[in-house]
Amino acid sequence: MYVYLYDNFVKNKKYASLIQTLEVRLTDYGIAGKILHLNNYIDAKPIIDDEIKRGAKTVVIVGNDKTFGYVLSRAATCECTFGFLPIGFENTIAEVLGIPVGEEAADVLARRRKEYLDVGWVNNRYFVSQLHIHPAKVEVIYDERFKASAIDKMEVVVCNFQPFYWKKDNNDKEQQVVHPQDGKLEAFLRPLTKKRWWGYKYEDPSVFPFEEMEIIGEKPFTMEADGKISKEVRVKIKLARQKVEMIVGRNRKF
Amino acid sequence: MIFQKPSPKIALENNEEPQEYISGVTQQPDEVETVVGPSVNVEGDFASEGNIVVKGTVSGSVRTSRYLLVEPGAKIVANVRAGSAKIAGEVKGNMKVQDSLELTSTARILGDIEVKVLSVEPGALIFGKIAMAGMESGEAKPSRRTYRKNETAEEVSED
Repeated sequence: MYVYLYDNFVKNKKYASLIQTLEVRLTDYGIAGKILHLNNYIDAKPIIDDEIKRGAKTVVIVGNDKTFGYVLSRAATCECTFGFLPIGFENTIAEVLGIPVGEEAADVLARRRKEYLDVGWVNNRYFVSQLHIHPAKVEVIYDERFKASAIDKMEVVVCNFQPFYWKKDNNDKEQQVVHPQDGKLEAFLRPLTKKRWWGYKYEDPSVFPFEEMEIIGEKPFTMEADGKISKEVRVKIKLARQKVEMIVGRNRKF
Repeated sequence: MIFQKPSPKIALENNEEPQEYISGVTQQPDEVETVVGPSVNVEGDFASEGNIVVKGTVSGSVRTSRYLLVEPGAKIVANVRAGSAKIAGEVKGNMKVQDSLELTSTARILGDIEVKVLSVEPGALIFGKIAMAGMESGEAKPSRRTYRKNETAEEVSED
């Protein structure tokens, strides 16, 4: 049995025709199911747990990157297969998973090509796309073996599903690609150095693949994981291997 | 987002390009996995299963079974073990390289080197012993017999 979790923005008129076409196609494939609408105040995990008790085997997230992160950061431990129907803009994760935006996503869902994906674990919850620590005076300890620090502030980005790219200038060819299934999370550290009079400039990033990492700050720092912002002093990040069973497309990037 | 991030479409299109160019210093067929950027200090047992590029400072120990690149201006105060390496910065500590070691003109090595294949550019500075596999020590082994003060080696052989 399929359960569809619709994000709130999908109710918008401009998506009405797309949703209708999508639902028709899902019915044609015989994979239509119960539709639930999410909003900002609903925790996805108890809802999914309830539906699993009622016999749901596949939970399909309908929305964009935010919806995907919002649902999976809470429901990664649920015993079911997850699917994704990307709608609208901000769909970078869908491209990584090889799922086209729009009605063609239903074809991918119907084929049921499944893969187990790694997720990140941070202070008792999961994150699926990216974790971002805003510039602060922090020290990073990797796998309890070595520590990395900078003279001044440092920005940290930990990538899981979302690839991370940077360019110093237009001529710069340096690029890093992050794959969700490489068995490690990848941390990008960018120290800031003071400019001559005021302001800061970014140095070249450092890249560390890791399985366990601890970030300790002198003062509380701002952390953003899957769109959720919090203040932390000490953060422990781990890799949860093959936690999520996901329906992916043939053109996936891993 | 503070980082400059091109649109995902462009970024994903660029994935297909092989990543052979690393900061204009060398060409490596393998993808770079660990990079210690400039103005980053790493302390402790720094080990990686993949390639390592050092542009900053590392102290403690450095271990990789693959390729190590130390860029100009970078400093390692540690014992180093690597599969192969190219050094353009400063290393204070003993180095054990399984395959080939390349020292550029800006390299400064303060420690012993154990390597299979070594290439040194003019201008590189080395202070330490170099040992290379595949060659016996040239010195004859000293006899274990001890002689009395008035006895010569010939007399001893006659006995």
